[in-house]
Amino acid sequence: MRGPILLSLLPAVVLFSVFFAVPLVVLFGTAFTDWSGAQLAFVGLDNFARLAGDPVFVKVVGNTLFYLAASTLVQVPLGVAVGIVLATKVPGWRAFRTVLFIPFVISGAAYALIFSMFYNPRFGLLNNLLVPLGLPQRDWLYETGTARWAIAGTFVFILGFVIVVTMAEIASIPAELYEAAEVDGATGWQRETRITLPLLRNAIGTCVLVRLLADIGMFDLVFILTAGGPDDTTATLALYAYRAYLNGEWGHANAVGLVILLLGGALIVAVRRAFRVGERDR
Amino acid sequence: MTTTTRRPATGTTSTMRARPSRPGRGVWPRIAVYAFLAAVTAVSLTPTVWVMSSAFKTAFQINSGSGLWPSPWTLQGFADAFTEIHLHAYFGNSVLYAVGGTTGALVAAFLAAYPLARYSFRGRNALVATFSLALAIPLVGLATPLFFVVRSLELFDSRLGLVIFYAALEFPFTFIVLRSFLLSLPGEIEEAAVMDGAGYFTIVRRIVVPLSRPAIATVCVVAFVKIWNEFYFANLLTVSADNHNVQLALAGFKSQFGFNITGALAGAVLVMLVPIGLFLILQRQVIAGLTAGAVK
Repeated sequence: MRGPILLSLLPAVVLFSVFFAVPLVVLFGTAFTDWSGAQLAFVGLDNFARLAGDPVFVKVVGNTLFYLAASTLVQVPLGVAVGIVLATKVPGWRAFRTVLFIPFVISGAAYALIFSMFYNPRFGLLNNLLVPLGLPQRDWLYETGTARWAIAGTFVFILGFVIVVTMAEIASIPAELYEAAEVDGATGWQRETRITLPLLRNAIGTCVLVRLLADIGMFDLVFILTAGGPDDTTATLALYAYRAYLNGEWGHANAVGLVILLLGGALIVAVRRAFRVGERDR
Repeated sequence: MTTTTRRPATGTTSTMRARPSRPGRGVWPRIAVYAFLAAVTAVSLTPTVWVMSSAFKTAFQINSGSGLWPSPWTLQGFADAFTEIHLHAYFGNSVLYAVGGTTGALVAAFLAAYPLARYSFRGRNALVATFSLALAIPLVGLATPLFFVVRSLELFDSRLGLVIFYAALEFPFTFIVLRSFLLSLPGEIEEAAVMDGAGYFTIVRRIVVPLSRPAIATVCVVAFVKIWNEFYFANLLTVSADNHNVQLALAGFKSQFGFNITGALAGAVLVMLVPIGLFLILQRQVIAGLTAGAVK
């Protein structure tokens, strides 16, 4: 069996080595160099010192954490709440689940186009709804006070993924627990907050993890909608790394890449610990 | 009155009875539930529905910002999407990337998942862990090294290059979902086939693949939609418009707002309809695939 097994593993090993392992090694190796295509020189921690002294870098780290917080504090709780409600199988739950999942399969580029229309200062729907209420006409994406919030507003209401993960987890909760609550005369509200919610720890942790991985590399929406502006108030770590790459400062770009990987890794470990993801308590 | 036989829970969902489904009793809780769901749905979908309907408006109506619904309705934008924006060329590329990338990821992942689920050998667990780790890496951090690798292989700005890259990109997820499916598949039929003297690849092709059809359908639709929607690496690894996918085309549409806004919006609607349509048709597979990939 040895021959066929090795042969069978070969394509996977080649793909993985070329597109994951080698780039990782290159990243770790060159984050400490001045690399711009032709020349390559070891510079120690210079790239990182430069990052620490760059106010734009500090800004993009803050923005990235802001988007992460928006996901964790709005998207996940709202999705979990909808998931809990739909899991009670209210009439029409299937239709709501389908409709609310649709935004999740729409691409970031399409979402960018949708919201560049929605926020348009001249003919956008948002101003058309708010101006008649007496609010001032705004250029949501290009005013420093609103831009970051406008970007967060494009993705925090994409709830489909959180909803289905929540519902799948609820479906695996044994009915006995609910029957016992029924015997004790618990109300619907008590049932969901005292039994369902604590048992969703694992699902909530999973959703936060998945969002975290997506948000730490957030690029499409910001790149297309604002290109990071105005005054870098919407720029992300991924966009910052991309700019360094475009400038031909590959070593510097890779230092940012390493920061993204390490920050992502640290946050993943923290979330896994906090939610004890993967552990069962029943 | 029916008597329910109590069985000890075995850990699988199929043996558990469904929990009692009883939405809030009384009228007020019910109204609250539907008001909540309606509000969430409105907030989630209004921008999308409004933009989709705008694709049927005239440019004059859009620019005057009047009316939620098209008046009059026009299909001019959809005609322009092909004649002026040349959407079909980008569609062709995206179909190639999504079909080619999905196929590549499926073949590599299935061939690896089978021995790593069925046979025990030295280094097996390490290999599984290594492949799985790829899902925990924010890949945008690897942009420059990936560009460097792709360029070194002379695959930069090439359709074949992007197909191979997407196969690699979707490999880890596909592998993990397929392997956990194969772990749950009983091995008796394969053992019987071994007794009959069937070779390794014959067993894979004749027995394991047919039995894995549900899992294969799931990973294929998920990989297809993810590659169809991919923007970052398409932007990084291609330069000429000939190789652009539909998402890059969409990003370019924003600059069309000035002169052909209906064409741009109609194009966007067509691009979005592919994953939306696939999801509506294969809803069960999409949801199963995404939840399996997330929880595993």
